Amino acid sequence: MNEREKLLEQVMAYDFCMIDLGLFLNTHPADTNALKDYRTCYEQSEKVRKLYEEKYGPLSLRHMPNQHCWQWIDSPWPWVKEV
Amino acid sequence: MWFYEKKLEYPVRIKKVDPRMAKYITSQYGGPDGELAASLRYLTQKFHMPTKELQAILNDIGTEELAHLEMVGTMVHQLTKGASVEQVERGSLGAHYTDHDLAVYPSNAAGVPFTAAYIQSKGDIVADLVEDMAAEQKARATYEYLINLADDPDVIDPLRWLREREVVHFQRFGEALRIAQELKDKKKFY
Repeated sequence: MNEREKLLEQVMAYDFCMIDLGLFLNTHPADTNALKDYRTCYEQSEKVRKLYEEKYGPLSLRHMPNQHCWQWIDSPWPWVKEV
Repeated sequence: MWFYEKKLEYPVRIKKVDPRMAKYITSQYGGPDGELAASLRYLTQKFHMPTKELQAILNDIGTEELAHLEMVGTMVHQLTKGASVEQVERGSLGAHYTDHDLAVYPSNAAGVPFTAAYIQSKGDIVADLVEDMAAEQKARATYEYLINLADDPDVIDPLRWLREREVVHFQRFGEALRIAQELKDKKKFY
């Protein structure tokens, strides 16, 4: 696994925690422990996402492109097999 | 609406070609208990859910299933990418190769194309949520059969993770059913 993939896996891990906690909160909307965990995951996710996007380009289209080139297509798509 | 994120929900990194496993795993792409059926079922049923909790559960689990669909498609693709025609034939994928080359195609393990007949959207919230709970159990069982058929740790790891998600979704749908039943009990019929 290269440096890009390691950093991406950190984003994936925090984002997954948010997905899982989000499902739980849909049926337990007043669970303050789950809310606290969600807030922590969100902060951590934002932090590593910012690091990743500065180094390797956008993770989503909700991203300000630079003036010269469209970086969205540069990093490999996640289904592509490593050779 | 949806925004694409340029990542999988959980890593899939398969190095070894295995057309036989690709054929089996395809069923979780376009088979009766697969991820396409799951996402289509929940994202269709969400429109008639009567409360904000039930709407959220159907919408968000349906959305997660689309991420699982991408993971399963990635597994099938990586298991066949670079396979020779001999490997394809030995893996009993010759019939698929005839119609699709090595393209991912939504069918069950025997090659029967996906159909919306795999899902129901009954309009009765108890009937629909009970179907959703059964769907999660059927998908869990399928992942267990696939794990039994697999030998590559790179294949088993994402299959085990996907199996776990079926268990979590079953739990959430169980809570949704309780919410739906409480709602029905509150209503007075004369």
